[in-house]
Amino acid sequence: FCRNLFTRKQSARFEKQNDVGWKLFGKVPLRENSQKDPKKIQKEYEEKTGRGHRPLSPKQNVRKNLDFEPLSTTALILEDRPANLPAKPAEEAQKHRQQYEEMVVQAKKRELKEAQKRRKQLEERCKLEDSIGNAVLTWNNEILPNWETMCCSRKVRELWWQGIPPSVRGKVWSLAIGNELNITHELFDICLARAKEKWRSLSTGGAEVECEDAGFSAADREASLELIKLDISRTFPNLCIFQQGGPYHDTLHSILGAYTCYRPDVGYVQGMSFIAAVLILNLDTADAFIAFSNLLNKPCQMAFFRVDHGLMLTYFAAFEVFFEENLPKLFAHFKKNNLTPDIYLIDWIFTLYSKSLPLDLACRVWDVFCRDGEEFLFRTALGILKLFEDILTKMDFIHIAQFLTKLPEDLPSEEFFASIAAIQMQSRNKKWAQV
Amino acid sequence: QSSDFLFKFLVIGNAGTGKSCLLHQFIEKKFKDDSNHTIGVEFGSKIINVGGKYVKLQIWDTAGQERFRSVTRSYYRGAAGALLVYDITSRETYNALTNWLTDARMLASQNIVIILCGNKKDLDADREVTFLEASRFAQENELMFLETSALTGENVEEAFVQCARKILNKIESGELDPERMGSGIQYGDAALRQLRSPRRAQAQSAQECGC
Repeated sequence: FCRNLFTRKQSARFEKQNDVGWKLFGKVPLRENSQKDPKKIQKEYEEKTGRGHRPLSPKQNVRKNLDFEPLSTTALILEDRPANLPAKPAEEAQKHRQQYEEMVVQAKKRELKEAQKRRKQLEERCKLEDSIGNAVLTWNNEILPNWETMCCSRKVRELWWQGIPPSVRGKVWSLAIGNELNITHELFDICLARAKEKWRSLSTGGAEVECEDAGFSAADREASLELIKLDISRTFPNLCIFQQGGPYHDTLHSILGAYTCYRPDVGYVQGMSFIAAVLILNLDTADAFIAFSNLLNKPCQMAFFRVDHGLMLTYFAAFEVFFEENLPKLFAHFKKNNLTPDIYLIDWIFTLYSKSLPLDLACRVWDVFCRDGEEFLFRTALGILKLFEDILTKMDFIHIAQFLTKLPEDLPSEEFFASIAAIQMQSRNKKWAQV
Repeated sequence: QSSDFLFKFLVIGNAGTGKSCLLHQFIEKKFKDDSNHTIGVEFGSKIINVGGKYVKLQIWDTAGQERFRSVTRSYYRGAAGALLVYDITSRETYNALTNWLTDARMLASQNIVIILCGNKKDLDADREVTFLEASRFAQENELMFLETSALTGENVEEAFVQCARKILNKIESGELDPERMGSGIQYGDAALRQLRSPRRAQAQSAQECGC
């Protein structure tokens, strides 16, 4: 019934306003239709077709109709003029038929094209999923069981560069980072228990916790514990999982707290929360703690997290050697503008790019960092500079500084890794470690 | 847009006092509620009109954690102005002010103009530092003083503008010489053009004498 009403309304309008002999049927949900009054329907219809009440000359109308894009649910039906009106001249009828056929052909063409596009997308997605699936199989069945012998083979290194599938990422990171410190799950539990004790005594304002922690005043430790609380809520705030009440809030708190008990001489340093967070996203709590502690124990990370300024400057100087070698023009431009590498490198190195790059890209950087070590962190930095070399050369100090401390959010991943791959980490036959 | 002067500004103070949020509010006129903590240094720049002069501020927003001091200290050199920020709801951040001040006076230019900002003014219910106490501290240490709110935007623009105005006054009175190395002040592109065409520069100075 509703449909009939709708049709009548439409055709009535057509008869009144124009005498083009076809009608458009949009599939209107019945339920919605039954509650609407005809006027409303007509208004909506007019909005849909982009036509107002203004009477249009038939010619204009024809053009409009040709521009109309048929949806897959819309049918075009050619009808003769109603009997109560004079018949169309044969010529006009012929013309209309022709136009009608053109429209149908066009609509079919477009639908075919869209279907092809969809099929292609689907194929690509399947291919991608297949390759990830295959990679997972290779990692699980071939590489991980024979880690020691296979991890350095050419084939594995190449697969590694492509990015580790998320499901095995944590395992590979753990194996690659290793556990030089021989931290056990029990040790983690002990450190965590001590951290919890401290939190309790602080929150109750209780007695001094025993002072074996070399050279750090109670006030300092308190400040550091307060800062952890503050920073957790400021770690990947857009993910909303580490904030108070989020599912990983306590986990992140535990790992950072346990670390301050495990290494009171290092304590909590800003930037750590990002590293711990990325590990938590890929590993269980205790394993994340083991990877975290071992990762921070690497020479480059120790130098930075202890804020050993002298050693940091050595790293920056080495970086500049490779910067000049790889990108001499940009290097000169930076020198001219007094733009020193610490301005952008500090954030990148402290957070291992997890704050400055989109998370999926950061994880891929971590993949290769686990494979190649600290050298890759600096290679990535040069890759970023290379990727944006053209724009950076045109900027002045403040714009470069702003750009590099807040990279664009839509980095193209393939171009990004291609530009990292193009960076040579050899300078006058010297490798990174030698410089 | 061209400018008459370029000032290097610092934003310093303890972690979590809202330094980056103040900067964001000043530049974007919005409160950033999903803010990260700053590691090392971040930047902002804005051209403001102070009494008819266009001043470009180049703002260095530094990390607040004590541990980063050795790094952030190296950014003080040649700063013309600074926002020294504490959190009115945290006495600890207020107690740290003396340390920050010593660093700034020692490492930036001698004539650095500092404005003390008691941030989070909107959290008056949790206040731990009174306005009177802080303004006394400011007076004793020759600082300008405002209570600000990066959340509502209250007094944020004013803090930057007042600091810039004081620097401009010092330039006009001859107390500050923009051409001295490490003053943290440079002529902007507009001023440089004027210097290069002496006739217009003369006209400009005549105008200045008039007022």
